Parts: sequence; structure tokens; C-alpha cells
Amino acid sequence: MKHVLQAKTAFVTGGSGGIGTAICARFAAEGASVIAADLQQSTELAEGVEFVEFDVTREDTIISTFADLEKRWDKLDILVNAAGIEIEETIENTTLEQWNRIFAINVTGTFLTSKYALPLLRRSNAASLINFGSYDGYIADPGLAAYCATKGAVHALTRAMACDHGPEGIRVNAICPGYVNTPMLQSFFGESGDIESLKQAVRDVHPMRTYGEPEDIANLVNWLASDEARYASGQLWVIDGGLSAQVQQMNL
Amino acid sequence: MLRLEGKTALVTGGRQGIGRGIVDRFVSEGARVMTCGRGPRPDDLPAEVSWQTADVADKADVDRLTDRVVAEFGELNILVNNAGVQIEKTVVETTDEDWDALMGVNAKAVFMLCRDCIPIMYHGGSIINIGSISATTADPGMAIYNASKAFVQGLTRSIAIDHGPAIRCNAISPGWIMTGMADAAFAVARDPEAAKQDALARHPAGRFGEPDDIASLAVWLASDEAAFATGQCYTLDGGMTAASPLNPALF
Repeated sequence: MKHVLQAKTAFVTGGSGGIGTAICARFAAEGASVIAADLQQSTELAEGVEFVEFDVTREDTIISTFADLEKRWDKLDILVNAAGIEIEETIENTTLEQWNRIFAINVTGTFLTSKYALPLLRRSNAASLINFGSYDGYIADPGLAAYCATKGAVHALTRAMACDHGPEGIRVNAICPGYVNTPMLQSFFGESGDIESLKQAVRDVHPMRTYGEPEDIANLVNWLASDEARYASGQLWVIDGGLSAQVQQMNL
Repeated sequence: MLRLEGKTALVTGGRQGIGRGIVDRFVSEGARVMTCGRGPRPDDLPAEVSWQTADVADKADVDRLTDRVVAEFGELNILVNNAGVQIEKTVVETTDEDWDALMGVNAKAVFMLCRDCIPIMYHGGSIINIGSISATTADPGMAIYNASKAFVQGLTRSIAIDHGPAIRCNAISPGWIMTGMADAAFAVARDPEAAKQDALARHPAGRFGEPDDIASLAVWLASDEAAFATGQCYTLDGGMTAASPLNPALF
């Protein structure tokens, strides 16, 4: 298969996270120049991926990062807003500080990074902006109230940005993963007891009888980033092994 | 490596439009492809593509079609239910004959082909149903067509959960794709050209879709890259349904 992202440039926030690492590796393997932007480099980056320290909540450093980038790259073809956190609490147990922090990262971070990337994205002749929503933006997991709310906000923002910037040649979509094997998922399981039996139960409730791996998500991100997806915009792409296609699975 | 190398595919309605676009892309990605339609084999169909004359609304024709898949390919890996018809009528105008003709192709045929093909996907497979944005947002004067596409979405989810993990099943919901079907829709407008310009302005992508746009997603869904994607109805419409139908700039 030919390299589908040859000569493209890509900027991935959360690029050192569970899913972000897999996205950066795939982009590099497909021939793109890739920057993994994250608070710190916590995973080993694939060959061809460059790390840049980046905090999606800091407007000043976002501005300076894209100003620096403009000196190196004449255009940005792909922006992936994959930085995100999860707070495992009901609203009653969520402090205002936690609420503001998760919105600052998951929603405001997507807004700010996109805002300052737009001038460089406009110079691409085929720009693709990919946000991270979640199947939790559609249906709720227990004890994740603030997280669910941020993902709903990202979904609405995705459609709005697609509508506003489509005429400028920028496609905007969101990926909405279900259960994916990442540190975030391990943390979600962590409070509920025997992690191994829980994993099997989680697998069994999926029509595909497994939860996803970061590479499964990167496969779809790669397609949406590529020119094959040139007519795809304004959509929320759920990829969840069939989980949300079914109604509640009762223990009958 | 080609993405569908070694895979076998059946694509219904491959004479023209989206179906033909999918057939051509599947061939270029290395798949062995059979397609069908009501008429004789199209002259311009590539020699390596098998053609079966079949009315997919007819059970005997569907049985013959899937028998031939087994005879030629041994097993099936990919089924694309693309064949569809459109009738531009409200409920009040629609006759029983219209209902049978449209639901026969858009609904019953999809069911019959899945029923026949799932058992011959011996090593699992990917089913791709061509739905429409009309399943969730109604086109005026296309009542039964809209409803038939909602059927496709419901069946897609059911197959995904009943026949996973061996079988993945997804739907693609195209928006306005430049085919004979779209031209027919514009033709009923008071001013077809003005209607076309207005429709274009409602697409963030600034253009209508091409059959190849849909084929690109069909290739991805048919390939092993989509191993975790099932039970979904993915819309491909250039952003149209992301925006409200009320657009002040277009008054």
C-alpha cells in the first residue's frame, strides 16, 4: 500500500497519550512529518515523530508554538486534538476546580488549539482537523458526568467548525471511541475490583467480543486524515466494536 | 500491499453510480468481485468482474446469485448492499405497487442477501449497506424512500450484534452524490439549476459527492483496518447534515 500521508504535516495534541502515541506512529509510518504535542513525553515516540512540549490550556504558549511552527512548516495539513482527561466522579463529588479543569483541557483546549492552527490549516489544499469526542458524548457511563459533558461539547463544536471552515477547504470531524485499551480505561476499571474478570465481562458485552486497541482508533484517524476522506466532514465517527449499536445487555 | 488482496466481494447494483464506483475500487484494491443488475452485463464492465443478471427483490434471483458466488469464489468475504430505487412521492400519492417495488429492493433485498450471504462467509466478513442521510433527515416527497433507509439502519445494527464478532456490519449514509438519482431529484424542482446552486451552498465541502467518495469509505470498511468498526451508520455528505436546514444567508 502506498503511503497515504506522504508530504503532509501533522500536529497531534495528547501525542504522548494512549491513543495519541498510536496516531503519531501511524502518521509517521504513512510518510507524514509529525509533531507529538503533550505536557511531557511519557511514551517512547515512533521514528520520525518529534516531541514538542505543549499545554492545551495555555493560550500564550499555544500562540508561540504555532508561531514557531509557521517558521518551519509552510502549511499544516492535519490537526488532531487528542489531549483529554477523565474525572471519575458524579457531579456531586466533582469540585468546581475539577469541572473547570476538565473543560479547560477537553473543550477549551480543542477550541484554542484549533483557533491558532487555523491560519496554517488554511494554507493546506486538503486540511483535515480531527477532534476527540467519545461514545460517552452520546450515552453515559456511570460516574463520568463531567467527562460526558465535555465530549458532548466537543461533538457540537465539531459540527460548528465543519460548517464554518468547510468553505475554506478544512474538513472537521470527531472520532468517538468506545472502550479502548489505554491508561484512561485501566483507570476507569481500577475502582471496580478484579480487573481481569472485569476485562472479560467488558469484552463479552461487545459484539466484536473485545475492546479496542489504540491502533484500531489510529486506523480510522489515518483514513480521515487522508485524501480518501475528502468528502467526509461534520461527522461524529463512533468506533466502539458495536457496543452502542445494542440496547442495554440485561443479565437475564 | 493491496488492501483487499485475496478477498471476495459481492456488490449489488454495480451497473452505474455508487455501486459501479465501489466495484471499480474493490478491483483496484485486489478483490475478486461479482456484481449484478436487472439488465444484461454492461459493455464497459472490466473483464475480471463477474456479472449476474438479477432482480435482487426476487428470492429466486437472490438464491441464484449467492449460489454463483459459492460456485465461483468458494466463499464470500464482503457484501455490499448497494442496489436501491427512489420514488418521488408523498404517502398519499404512493400506490401499493410503488410500495412493493421500492421496499422490495431497498428493504427486502437487503434482508434476503444478508440471509443468504452470512452463512457463506465461512471465515467472517464485512457487510456494508448503503443507507442514506434520508434515514434520519427527511427529503420532501420521498416518504417511502426515507422510511426504507431507516430500515437499513435498523437492520445494520441488528446484524452487527447478532453475527459479531465473525461478521462486521456497517452502513454508509451518503448525502447528495452526483448520480442519475440526484439528477432526478433536482428535475422535480421548480427551477432545477437554482435548486442545484442552493443545495451546493449548503455543503461545507463546497461540492456534491462523487461515487468514488463513497467507494473510499467502502474500501476502508471492507478492509481489516476497520476491525473494530461495527454496528455504525457512517454519514458521508460533505458536512451538509451537520448544519441546520435554516440558513439565514440562503433566504
